[in-house]
Parts: sequence; C-alpha cells; structure tokens
Amino acid sequence: MKHLAKPALLFVAIGLVLYAGLYAAAESLLYRTGDTNPVYKIVTAPERRYDWVILGASHAMPFDFADFNAYMERETGRRILNLATPGTGVIYNRFVLERFLEDHQTAAVLYVVDSFAFHSRAWNEERFADAKLLRRTPLDAAVAKRLLAYTLRQGIDPRALLDYVTGFSKINNRERLQRDIWEGEAQFERVHRPSASADRKRIDYLFPDGAEDARTFARYLGDFAAFVDFVRARGVGLVVIKTPVPARFRQLMPNEDRFDQSVAHLLAERDVPFRDFSQVPTDPGHFFDTDHLNRAGLTAFFTQHLKPVLLQPPTGQQ
Amino acid sequence: MLFTSFSFLALLPLAVVLHALLPVRYRWAWLLLASYLFYAAWVPVNAVYLGAVTLLVFGCGWGMGLPDRPRLRRVLLVVGLVAVLGLLVTFKFYDFLAGELERFSVAALGLQPGLTLPRLGLRNPAGLSFYAFSAVSYLVDVYAGRLPTKRHAVKLALYVAFFPKIFAGPIERATSFLPQLRTGLRVEPERFVAGLQLIVWGLFKKVVIADNLAPMVDRSFHLAAYISPVELVLGAYFFAFQIYCDFSGYTDIAIGVSRLFGIELMENFRRPYLSRSTAEFWGNRWHISLAHWFRDYLYIPLGGSRAGQVRRYANVMLVFAVSGLWHAGLGYGVGWTFLVWGALNGFYQWVGLATAPLWRWLGGLMPRVQASPVLAVLRVLLTFHLVLVAWVFFRADSVSQALLVLRRIATGLGHMPAMITRYPFTVAHLQAVCLIALLMAVEVLDERRPLWERLAAMPVAVRWAAYYAVLAALLILGRWQAREFIYMQF
Repeated sequence: MKHLAKPALLFVAIGLVLYAGLYAAAESLLYRTGDTNPVYKIVTAPERRYDWVILGASHAMPFDFADFNAYMERETGRRILNLATPGTGVIYNRFVLERFLEDHQTAAVLYVVDSFAFHSRAWNEERFADAKLLRRTPLDAAVAKRLLAYTLRQGIDPRALLDYVTGFSKINNRERLQRDIWEGEAQFERVHRPSASADRKRIDYLFPDGAEDARTFARYLGDFAAFVDFVRARGVGLVVIKTPVPARFRQLMPNEDRFDQSVAHLLAERDVPFRDFSQVPTDPGHFFDTDHLNRAGLTAFFTQHLKPVLLQPPTGQQ
Repeated sequence: MLFTSFSFLALLPLAVVLHALLPVRYRWAWLLLASYLFYAAWVPVNAVYLGAVTLLVFGCGWGMGLPDRPRLRRVLLVVGLVAVLGLLVTFKFYDFLAGELERFSVAALGLQPGLTLPRLGLRNPAGLSFYAFSAVSYLVDVYAGRLPTKRHAVKLALYVAFFPKIFAGPIERATSFLPQLRTGLRVEPERFVAGLQLIVWGLFKKVVIADNLAPMVDRSFHLAAYISPVELVLGAYFFAFQIYCDFSGYTDIAIGVSRLFGIELMENFRRPYLSRSTAEFWGNRWHISLAHWFRDYLYIPLGGSRAGQVRRYANVMLVFAVSGLWHAGLGYGVGWTFLVWGALNGFYQWVGLATAPLWRWLGGLMPRVQASPVLAVLRVLLTFHLVLVAWVFFRADSVSQALLVLRRIATGLGHMPAMITRYPFTVAHLQAVCLIALLMAVEVLDERRPLWERLAAMPVAVRWAAYYAVLAALLILGRWQAREFIYMQF
C-alpha cells in the first residue's frame, strides 16, 4: 500500500484545487442569480441602516414581491429590508437577524408570525440543513461562525455547517442558472379559486407533526420569547403581526386560538405590540393561493392596516 | 443507510481503516459487527429477522451434518426452506392476497358483505428477498454436499449479513464467500484501487444517470393518460436506463466496497443492453446472480431441459413467473404487473426456443449474413425493445396502466415524427440523452476490452482526467437527496 500513498496524496491535492475552482465558480454564479435569500440580501444590501427589517416565513414574502417593497418605501418614506424566508420559524429568523445586526442597523423589526412554525422541527432546526436554502447562501465568515454556534447551541444538524462551508449544495445546485425567486412570486397577480382539497393539503404540509404536542409548542414559544428579549436588548423596536388568511382556511388551522392567546400573552408581558390581522374581513379574491395575499389583497391590507404601523416605528425602549 | 448517503460515505473510510488495523484473523468479526450496525441503522427491528434467519439456517445446516441421519437431513432441509421462503412469501404477499381475496369475494362470488381478512400491516424487512435466497442456497448446498456443514455460526452470519450485498445483492453463494473468510481478508493495493474505481462508477450510474432520469419517468407514468405519446416513449426508454443504472450502480458500489475489505463478490451485470437475444439477456447479462440462482435451485431441480419438451417449456415459464413474483415488492407495490412481466419474459424464451432451429437453419444457409455486424446490431436493437416493452409492466402501477402506456404509444407511432418536431424538449431531456449515449459508448468499449484495462494502459494524465471528470459530474450533476435504490425495495 505504501507505494500508493504518494500518488494518492497528489491525486487528492489536485482534486482539492479543482474543487476550489468549482466552488469559486458556483459562488460567483450565486451573485449573478441571487435574489431572495436573506443572507444574500444582507451582504448585498445597499444601505447600512434601515427603518424596518421584515422577518417571518412565506406570509411575509409578498411584501417584497415585484415592486411592492419600493411601493411601501415610497408610501411611508421608510427604508425597508425584507429578510423573510419561506418555511422558517423563529430560530432561523433570529439567526438571520443576528447576522444582519453584525454590520447593519435597523430602527425596528416587523415580525410576521405564523403558528405552523411553532409545531415542528421541520420549520426550525431542520430548515438550516435544507439544500434549497444553503445553495443560495453566500459564503460569509460571520454566517459560518454563527452556524457553528447554532450547531452547538440549538442542535442544528452539523451537516448543515459542513455543507455550507464546503459549498457542496452550491456546486450541486441544479437550478444554478435560474434566478433565486420563490415560486409564489410568479403568481402574485393571480386570483386563487378556493378548493377544499387544496386547503387540506396545505394544512397537512404546514403541520407535518400536527399541533397537539404541547412540549414542542412550549419550546418554540420559549425560543420566540428569547428572540423578543434579544431584539429588545439590542435596542431595536419590535412589532409582531399576523397577516390575513381566508376564514375557511383559518378554521382548518389546528389550535390557532391557543396560539393567538399564547403569543398575545407573551408579547403583552414584554410590552411589545401584537397586531393580529388574521381575522380581518378579506375578499376571497385577494389571495393568489390558499393563504397568501396577491397584489390586490396586499395593497388593500397595506393601505388599511400596515401603513399606519410602518409610519410609526416603535423605539427599542418601548 | 444508503450507499449514496453522507453517513455511509463518511463512515466507510472509518470502517476500512479499522479493518486494516485489525489482525487478519479477526477482520471477519469486525465486518460482522459493521454489517449489523449498517443494517440496523435502516430499521433496527429488521436485525431481529436477519438474526433469526441466520440461526435457523445454521441450526438446519448443523443438523444436516449429523452422520447417518438421511431422513433427518431431508426433514431439516424442508423445515429450513419452508420457514425461510414462508417468511418471504408472507411478508411480500399476505396483505396483498388478503385484499385480492376480499375483492374477489364481492366481485366474483357476490358475497355481501364480502370476506374480511386480518392484515399483518408489516413492511417487508429491507433486503429480505436477497438474504433469504442466500440462506436457501446455503441450505441446499449443504444438503447436496457441495458445502461442508458450517460449525462456525458467526462466519455464516457474516455470509448472510455482509453489508455491501445485504440490501440488493449480488446473491452470493456460500461456496464462494465462505472460503474467502478462511484464507483471510487481505487487501491487495490493486484490488483496493479497483474497488474505489467501481464505487465511483457505481455512484455515477446511480446519482447522475438513474436519479436524473427518475423524475421524467415518474411524470410519464403518473400522467400516462394525458401526456403526449412522445413523452410516453421517452418515459419508457428512460426507465430502461434508470433501472439498469440504479441496480447495476448499486451492484458496482457493493462489489467495490467489498474489495476494500478484501472480499470479492460475483459479477451481476455484463452490459445487458448489448444482448443479442432475450435468452442471453436473462442468462448471462442481467442480474446474473439471480438468474443463476433460479437456474441452480429451481430450473434444474425441476428437470431443466432434460425432462422432455413440454416440461422444459413449463419449467421455463414457471421460473420466469416466480422471478416476476420475487420482484413484486415495495418499490412499485405488489401487483399483478410483476406476474405479467415475468410471464412476458417467459413467453420471449418460448419464442426463442421454438424458433432456434429455424435460425440455425437460416444461419447455415447464409453464414455471411449470420456473421454480419449489421445483423448483430439489429438483434441487439430487437432484444432491447422486447425488454423495453416488458419493463413497462414492471414500472406501471397496474396492468391497465401498462396497457394504456403501450396502447397510446402504439396508436401514436404513425404520427410520431410530426409529434417529435412539435414536442418542447428541455435541457433535462438533452442531458438525459447525452448521459445515456455516454453510458452506451462506455459499454460498447467495455464489451471489446474491459474499460479498467484500457484505463490502466493510458498515461496517468489521461487516466486522472477521466477520474476527475466523473467526480466533477457527481458533484455538479448528481442528485444526492437520498432516493432509494429501486432493488433495495424488493
């Protein structure tokens, strides 16, 4: 075997050089096709200071579809950066905010809260290892450091860190030439035709582990409390909202009232405004799918409810 | 733990290093432990079935070794076979047959309410189809005196459980496996390198070719009633290569991994799509270890070709029907499609047997035509398309779906050129065709002279460039999001 050692080492060394070349090419391509990934948005953000950072899962994403963020900035005169990421709970959102605050500032955070993200690891710890996210996340020392900390502290799968550092998902990205746009954005102008089976399918997708496990819920509620305390400790204002959903869809959401009460109680204790718009009457034609606002719905929601909120960012000392 | 999973690829070097550090005479023990850990990592309880089957065949084999007890030998053989095959049949078919009987009681017998039979609700333990056949071959070989009774139960356990082959073969014979343990598991550098080459090539076939074809195949069969016949044709062709690359990719990795531990497993595929007849395809090129198993443990004991023409034809059909049923499993469900698939392949053999004298006579009349490469290519193409038609039954969810696919393709054949010009081919289609062309080019070269020999004769720079190209394809084009090997599910 010894006579094989030298050529084997040389083979590996050349292989590593070639790998580095592939990695560099994938990273450079990422900057040409990047769009919605929150880390990409942070490292390419044109400003250092914002008035609002929007966090949350997919219900917060339409605020940045097409030209809507620019429209909101014009209407309110505020600088807004939307860092929402589909299918993410509070752990991932805190991770994003921590990275943002390393070299940026914001007066306030608008957190669009979703109950489904409080009931499953799939939207929290496991989300970090999703290749779809990793392949669009630019290489950044601060992210790697933070990912290591989360791996040690939050029980994130170490393979997420390994994947991120080695860039495997970026090199292996089958959609490497396509722009990083969430599929919902293409439907932003569409009007959804309600369907009971689509609603049921969506609920099953959002709640893969159901919503009965009180320990899981308490755990993510605890993480949410820690997130609120973290934001306050950094002197950043915070407003938590729920966006409108169709009444028939809300009825299918398991334990939604318990969730609303728990979040309201937690936020009231910390004197953080909680604006629950999930039950405001909405036109059924204001959604592009089962539960996401389309342009008409978002415009109406912004004009009637969100604009006053954005016009008066809370201070960190609220 | 899948061969394509990060866990496996990360733990394999560790297992190899530990194996190399151990004294030669203890290496088999480490392999046994590693095999059980590997197997239990999938579904822990399955290790209990594996252990039970091992103990059973050891006990039966030990009893068969007792001197001057011919009656006991026969009884133990029957007990062992019934228990192992009974377990396999029960897991595979009980729930399916219970459902079919219930339907039959309503539809054909008119019972209202129909029969209600209990269900086991058990999942077939992964790899049972393979290690049960290994266990059967051990029992029969001991009974036939081809193998001495194994007193060492633990080495027998390694034969049954050896991790590279447990999920999808090759169905190795104890007669070739156990002697390797006796001589010691030494790893020669050249075999080690050859093992690594096979692993990389197997991964390429699985994650680059098979798994990139899979989504297009799935779409074709799921939407068979609605999509263009062009897409159905593509689906059928792509499936032929998907299943080949999936299964032979697994086998290549299994053989390659075994070599890293100093164990040689039998060849399981020999460029099957270059077969010139379906008899050659099934006899010498596709899933060779299974074909030889059926030949040695079913076809020949039934009388093979020496029991008269009628029995011969019946034996051939029986072997292919049983082979079809063996393939029924969890991958594409348990259904009648597998029986039809087996029977159709049996029918091909019938036609081959019946027309063999005619071809021989024609060959005698026109020896130059018989030797012509054009005829050889035509025969390869004909064989491939016969196999392709049978694969449609293998892949379809039901017989009616398979017939729908074939009917829509057949009725669309006349308009195919026009439909092809209008069909919106994508980059994925182009990539698939290029990968298949590359595979077939490699197979044609390999047919003339083994590819590894060709590579070994090339300058280092060319050889390494080829290795890096395959590794880069794995990185750039591979689909690594854990899609199971198809044959693991049988």
